[in-house]
Amino acid sequence: MKKGYIYTIVFIVAVSVVFSGVLAVVNAVYKNKIEINELAAEKVSILYSMGIEAENAVAAFDEKVTQKDIGEISLYSAVNDDGIEVYSIPFEGSGLWGTIRGYVSVDVNLSTITGIAFTEQNETPGLGGRIEEEWYKEQFRGISIDNALVYGEDTGIDAITGATSTSNAVLQIMNNFINTTLKELEEADGK
Amino acid sequence: MGNNIKTVFYRNLWGENPVIRQILGICSALAVTNRTVNSLVMGVGLMFVTAFSSLTLSALREHIPDRIRMIVQTLVIAAYVIIVDIFIKANLPEISKALGPYVGLIITNCIIMGRAEAFARKNPPVISFFDGLFAGIGYTVILLGIALIREILGFGTVFGFNINFIDFTKWTIMVVPPGAFFMIAIFIWIAAGIQNRRLKKKEAK
Repeated sequence: MKKGYIYTIVFIVAVSVVFSGVLAVVNAVYKNKIEINELAAEKVSILYSMGIEAENAVAAFDEKVTQKDIGEISLYSAVNDDGIEVYSIPFEGSGLWGTIRGYVSVDVNLSTITGIAFTEQNETPGLGGRIEEEWYKEQFRGISIDNALVYGEDTGIDAITGATSTSNAVLQIMNNFINTTLKELEEADGK
Repeated sequence: MGNNIKTVFYRNLWGENPVIRQILGICSALAVTNRTVNSLVMGVGLMFVTAFSSLTLSALREHIPDRIRMIVQTLVIAAYVIIVDIFIKANLPEISKALGPYVGLIITNCIIMGRAEAFARKNPPVISFFDGLFAGIGYTVILLGIALIREILGFGTVFGFNINFIDFTKWTIMVVPPGAFFMIAIFIWIAAGIQNRRLKKKEAK
């Protein structure tokens, strides 16, 4: 139907205000819950990368894990289920479609990777997104970091079928992490 | 054609099914159909958004000035999609993670705006609500059909449960998007075939 300009402007402003209001209310109601979820997910990831299994991840995290700053690097330290003292260090890098973030755990002598966990990735669900699957992440337990990481039978690390670019991106991020962040940590730590 | 619930149901699920008859919503149909779980959550999200945006837009239809109706449609649809996104994030954090950006992309699904333009603009709220809901169901059913075949052949699983008892070789092509092109084309082919045959029968009479 035909309506005047004034009516049109008033109408669109009113509709925008009403719907923004509704969204603001919904957001306010759920904000805390979402933050708690995100924090809990972060703690689960850190514990997983360290190799600590727990029924109640948040409680276990608060009990076992301490936050530390070594040099410029902020990290988490704990003794894992195998009795090894480990650091869990945040990492980030480019995946195929977007930034991949997560935590890598290394023993305190910085000689072995003890685990890896992802907190954020936007890879293709069902293909690159499978880096979140157990079997893939478990491959990164107890890997010596003397040499650059590569896929293959020799190293025992498998890439994901149909997701070559994401698989390669993950290794590149890891190798990059070893060559920069871990070097920095080594110097700052004085070991 | 009259607009009672029965005809609306038939039209959205078969006669004018959004995916296989109108070829709408193909982008998401290609993207999320390699896993049945993802397809199901995506379908339920779309059902909710189409149903309620059709209801709202139909209730407002007498008041929306024609020249800005698309802006209003997009605004209403976006608001519902954000509500769905917030709700999933708060209550189903794991599924939210698995679907990633696809929930936000429901906004761009042509089916919702298609129903708003083609139906909710001219019909009363209650029937518009059902029209939106059935369009969502029509979309979900086809997605689940495609996802079922793709997941069985590509992963050997259904809803994540392993059914690959005889250990057949998995079809990688079913996991990647080209597999979805083949599957959707086959679905469209079958639907068009049946429909054409019916038309011919009618003409013969």
